[in-house]
Amino acid sequence: MKTDIQIGDKVYQIEISEPQENLLKVIVNDKEYFFTKNELGELSSIEDFHPSLKETEIIPKGRMEREIKSPLAGVISAIMVKKGEKIKPGQKVVTLIAMKMENEIISEGYGKIKEVKVKEDQFVNSGDILITLE
Amino acid sequence: MQDSKLQFKIQKYKTLESTNLKAKELAKSGAEPWTIILTEEQAGGYGRKGTAWLSLKGGLYFSIILPKSNIDDLQTLTILAAFICAKTIKENFNLEPFIKLPNDVWVNGKKVAGILTENVIGKDVKISVMGIGFNTNIEKFPEDLENIATSLKIELGREVDNKKILEQIITGLKEQLKTISE
Repeated sequence: MKTDIQIGDKVYQIEISEPQENLLKVIVNDKEYFFTKNELGELSSIEDFHPSLKETEIIPKGRMEREIKSPLAGVISAIMVKKGEKIKPGQKVVTLIAMKMENEIISEGYGKIKEVKVKEDQFVNSGDILITLE
Repeated sequence: MQDSKLQFKIQKYKTLESTNLKAKELAKSGAEPWTIILTEEQAGGYGRKGTAWLSLKGGLYFSIILPKSNIDDLQTLTILAAFICAKTIKENFNLEPFIKLPNDVWVNGKKVAGILTENVIGKDVKISVMGIGFNTNIEKFPEDLENIATSLKIELGREVDNKKILEQIITGLKEQLKTISE
């Protein structure tokens, strides 16, 4: 779908397509942007999409996180991932119990696990690094 | 079923594996906050760390899809619900509830209600559900539980109105959460 959008005096040419399932491509004045849906159905952008991957398998380079931190203080009750594993947005990484409340911590981005910094039954503070990513 | 006066939707099930599991599943597919998942029986009711929560017939078992709170406010949710459950007991019946912080309510030294809040968190809260198991009209507990669990029926010697209790808990919780949710 192609369209022109005018913002102030400037006209932008916009083209939106879905080159493959769960990959939304938006071209704004010849610059390409890509979006994909995570497991929660939220649209997230894939920055710096590698040109060679466009028509083939998606291994998004963008939206890479360096680490996953604990959002709150509590005790780790389960770890769902291991070193070397590739993770994607929406994927559960650990379960954390805080005030007798169970919290599934999910990844917000793509990445490969460099190190799991915590163990089961370990107490963590809010902001502590749980997982580092390559 | 939608009660326009009470402003929450109740989805009723004859039996469910777990109301919290169902609530999380519905929240993932876009169900609105304050959708209530109610069941007469839970086949696999669970409490913290997956410990079994025996869901006998006659009890009040439901989960609430909560509005997304700030991460900093999450820890107050369970306590607020325990407070509301205790308040509901105190205001309706001649019983003295005791809040076993943060997630249980006792009457006469035995557990009468339990709360399990579950969240899915990334950079912010994605899903927040709260399950409440309330021993209302349970006639009798199995031997291994009768010293630690009780029901309103056992304490009062009469049946109580599950629907009324449910409405009071939801209305009370909604009121309490107004200050901390979106």
